[in-house]
Amino acid sequence: MATVTQQLDPGSGQFLATAFPALVRGGTNFPVLGLAYDAAANEAAFWLIRAVNYGTGNVTVHVDWYADTATTGDVVWQAQLAAITPDTDTQDVETKALATLNTVTDTHLGTVGQRLHRAIITVTNLDALAVNDDLWIRIARDAANVADTMAGDAVLALATVSYSDV
Amino acid sequence: MAVMDATNRLRTWSQIMRDWPRGTGLPGTTKPDLRAAIDATDDWIEANQGSFNAALPLPFRTAATAPQKTFLFCYVAMRRAGLLKAQED
Repeated sequence: MATVTQQLDPGSGQFLATAFPALVRGGTNFPVLGLAYDAAANEAAFWLIRAVNYGTGNVTVHVDWYADTATTGDVVWQAQLAAITPDTDTQDVETKALATLNTVTDTHLGTVGQRLHRAIITVTNLDALAVNDDLWIRIARDAANVADTMAGDAVLALATVSYSDV
Repeated sequence: MAVMDATNRLRTWSQIMRDWPRGTGLPGTTKPDLRAAIDATDDWIEANQGSFNAALPLPFRTAATAPQKTFLFCYVAMRRAGLLKAQED
């Protein structure tokens, strides 16, 4: 078995009507596009991928992020899936619910505020994911969680989804 | 003016994190630390607003409203800290 990895670009993220991160662009020598997750309000972004060659086991979500202004504190990241098998599942796609979320708390490593960090979320709630399903992924910052102590925005620069193939 | 209620302190805390200037960066403290600093600042203003008002010269002291005096205070404090750029700079 090999590992399949798919990239979730911040520019291709989708949002609900409220509670979404702002798309920001920084960078001096090259553009750094990101989704800025608020420190006081829970915000979420969504991506749709096809789970090409998904075999078995948990899904791993990597969130590469940096602090906008902070140099210390913890960020609580959430990942959540919703899987539909086309032509098989009869579920209304527009009313489909997400599976229970998984979280990880990642600590700012200090020294430089806007250094890049990688939070790794092991998603165990797979929503009966099957090969070549259409897979919606929700990535959020649980800013209201008492464990989320980092002041200021957390900017998602890139996320990946990986899993074992068939 | 009285101290802010819990809702207003919370909203100040939420918004200051959104507006914090990138150039200065946040101090190496957490969200609870920042919230405590906001509460303390509000308490300090409440305790010291009388002496600030008394220090203002006439006719400004009697002619200006509380929001106008607050605006003045903020501009002077921001300039002192290098956070206010003037057209002449």
